[in-house]
Amino acid sequence: MRIPPMKTIVSAAALLAASFLAVPALAANLVLYTSQPNEDAQATVDGFMAANPDINVDWVRDGTPKIMAKLQAEIQAGNPVADVLLIADMVTLERLKEDGKLLAYKSPEAGQYDATLYDADGYYYSTKLITTGIMYNTSAGMKPASWKDLTKPEAKGLVTMPSPLASGAALIHAQTLTAVPGLGWDFYKSLAENGAIAAGGNGAVLKSVASGEKAYGMVVDYLPIREKAKGAPVEFVFPSEGVSAVTEPVGILASTKNADAAKKFVDYVLSEKGQEGFLKLGYIPARNGMKLPEGFPSRDTIKVLPIKAADALKNTDQDLKTFSGLYGSN
Amino acid sequence: MHGYVRTGNSQPAWLFPFVVITVLILSVLPLARLAMVGIAAFANGGVLTVLGDPSVWSATYYTIVTALFGTIISLVIGCLFAFLLTLTDITGKGLLSFFFVLPMMIPPQVTALAWVQMSGPSSPLLKALSIAPPLGSPQPLYSVGGIALLYGVQHAPLVYLALRAGLMTLPRDGVEAARLSGASSLRVFRDIILPLSLPGIIAGAAISFVSCTGNFGIPAILGIPASIFTLPTLIFTKFSAFTSRTFGDVAVLSGIIAMISVAGLMIQDRALRGRDYRIIGLSGASAAFELGAWRFAFTPLLWAILFFMLAAPFSALVAGALVPAYGVPLTFKTMSLHAFEEILFRQAVTRTAFVNSLSLAAATAICLLTVTVLAAYALTRRRDAASRIVSSLIEIPYSLPGIVMAVSFILVFAAPIPFLHISLYGTIWIILIAYLSSFFAVSLKPVVSAFHQLDPALEEAARLSGAGFFRRLFDIIVPLIAPAAGASVILVFLIACNELTISALLWSAGTQTLGVAIYNLDDSGSSDLTSALSVLVVLMVVVMMLLLEFLAKRLPKGVVPWRS
Repeated sequence: MRIPPMKTIVSAAALLAASFLAVPALAANLVLYTSQPNEDAQATVDGFMAANPDINVDWVRDGTPKIMAKLQAEIQAGNPVADVLLIADMVTLERLKEDGKLLAYKSPEAGQYDATLYDADGYYYSTKLITTGIMYNTSAGMKPASWKDLTKPEAKGLVTMPSPLASGAALIHAQTLTAVPGLGWDFYKSLAENGAIAAGGNGAVLKSVASGEKAYGMVVDYLPIREKAKGAPVEFVFPSEGVSAVTEPVGILASTKNADAAKKFVDYVLSEKGQEGFLKLGYIPARNGMKLPEGFPSRDTIKVLPIKAADALKNTDQDLKTFSGLYGSN
Repeated sequence: MHGYVRTGNSQPAWLFPFVVITVLILSVLPLARLAMVGIAAFANGGVLTVLGDPSVWSATYYTIVTALFGTIISLVIGCLFAFLLTLTDITGKGLLSFFFVLPMMIPPQVTALAWVQMSGPSSPLLKALSIAPPLGSPQPLYSVGGIALLYGVQHAPLVYLALRAGLMTLPRDGVEAARLSGASSLRVFRDIILPLSLPGIIAGAAISFVSCTGNFGIPAILGIPASIFTLPTLIFTKFSAFTSRTFGDVAVLSGIIAMISVAGLMIQDRALRGRDYRIIGLSGASAAFELGAWRFAFTPLLWAILFFMLAAPFSALVAGALVPAYGVPLTFKTMSLHAFEEILFRQAVTRTAFVNSLSLAAATAICLLTVTVLAAYALTRRRDAASRIVSSLIEIPYSLPGIVMAVSFILVFAAPIPFLHISLYGTIWIILIAYLSSFFAVSLKPVVSAFHQLDPALEEAARLSGAGFFRRLFDIIVPLIAPAAGASVILVFLIACNELTISALLWSAGTQTLGVAIYNLDDSGSSDLTSALSVLVVLMVVVMMLLLEFLAKRLPKGVVPWRS
């Protein structure tokens, strides 16, 4: 029997099409861009999906500046993928709000939060308090108690910190510390002169100090406190001058096609259940009347340094430049 | 064979145009777009801004220096293994060859992570053995030397394979003649074998150099913490700080990478010119030398090298996956399977990444096979200038670093496709198209060599009996080239599964590949999860290579790269 060529072409085309379809079409209802570490992001998403079984969440994790770059590139290509952002700091979300990229939503949970912790128009809500202090390897010679200790000769060449170009918390941290009288950019300058380096995000700092490549690191609180509980040779201190803080706000993108699901996500992370999830992971919840995670001193002993959001927003580019000038651009 | 080649109409009229259009879409379109953006950047002075940036020059410098030293290291290791395994009667050749080629198949970022875990003050392995360096000692691999060393390890198999292919065709009678005239082994090696194997060595060096310049995984893990940027990592960081100028900047940067690679290939061309040694007589150099007592020196040496290249880093990786937290020494008490549990049963990204990588790899391999069978048929039967041009156009995307192709495809698909208004950027399809383009040549090679071995008389007979093109294709050609086609599918599958450079730029929510998942886990500081996932990927690679090994008996010679 002679095979009719046309039929063969059609069946070959069908085969080809079938092999294309074999690549899964991703039917996520909601896409979350977050700067939480992978395990925590997964736990947050799992908790939300358990409470809302009809919504499927896909998530992407990267440092805040990097995930913002990804979002900007997608917006420029006309295909923003994300529906919800859960990233380091309010300053970044304030900028998105001003650009008209966010959707306002008045969450019923807002009543349980301090008015300074969310946007009055409902564009974003803080979810937790993440402070940046000092971690050290337990085999280090000096036990640091203040930021200035890091500029001492004992710490020469042994200090590492996250780069504001890779971490949103690190940017806020630099902007907070440089506004403190007695520290300022001079502090960062003397740190650089003392051989401190800035590279990567908080994860890189944790690794470097836990491994003993460096002895001291500026880092967000929950990472070393959690690792210490697992047996890693690290300690965390809240320096005497005070700590900087970010609040990991959540916000909905105006371009979302799943606004209802996105609103449910916002409600969930602000709800008592969602907040308890963060508490279990080792974060200080932002909601009123919640406990502190294990390993933290009581909240009134933690001195949080103030930051002027408007100034921070205005000076971001200049601050990044000053920082890069001292530590290189990575 | 030439006698059988006809210029008649034995192939359907649509066949060659189909191949040409495929090549236009996969090769010409992205590179033309890259050139256009580059030229536009020249026109508006953007190039001056980019070239005025000192970080570009230091990245160019580091790219060339690490690639040069990496090539030298890969030459030393690759040549040692190729000469000993091809020309001598050393024992355990099959096993040595299998293990030696393994690093090439392992994703470079996994190699880098394993080596980092193996050395430095943090190493769970060294801590378990209580020989870890003291606090504050720098990780020695976070340096130009470290990057070059790992380039060498990763690409030594490329040199090995290129040189081995040449050594297999050495004239045995030349060696025997020299021997009978009383030449010593050393003399034979220096005066006969070395000159004849130079083309293979040069080709290996060129492949290794080009692969080094385009490598992303190794400098990303080893260079970024020490502020050592190569051009691929610089492009990656430019995307991480996205501005309106980013597209133009990365077009210029990938142009520089392309120029370095092309320069490497041109030096190869120069070096090979005038070295066209025609070999007459019996080839096949199996065991030209008897090692004698030397075997007691060389056998342990090779196994020791393999131990440091493979066994030690892999055990460090396993140790890294078993410790509960970074910096904790591994003992029977601290050992925990938590990381494997988390990565296998809780992390959604693992499943996404496995599904994405496996289905991307399968789709790439199968789509390419469909195209390559037709393309190989058209190209081997035509043998005219047009088909030679098409062949070299297929080669270009493979010989260019993956990051250049990724940038080109971003430029093509950054804006929605005109008329259709479909946006491919951020979807899995852009990764698939980039894979199709980059691995076309990999898929084509085994199939073309099978076609060359095919006697056209069979097909001719069928044609004379009135069989149409598809009838001949399915009843005669496909069964005859099936083993080579199978190997082509598995090779493409293996390479696509472990790919990072292309997907690192093209991934988005839900389209993470395995390479991206490993890189991101490491970036977030979850080193135990990273190690666990890496261990799983290495096991997957070994299983696939074993599969090829079992298939090898039924395949034409030279299709499974590490077998003779």
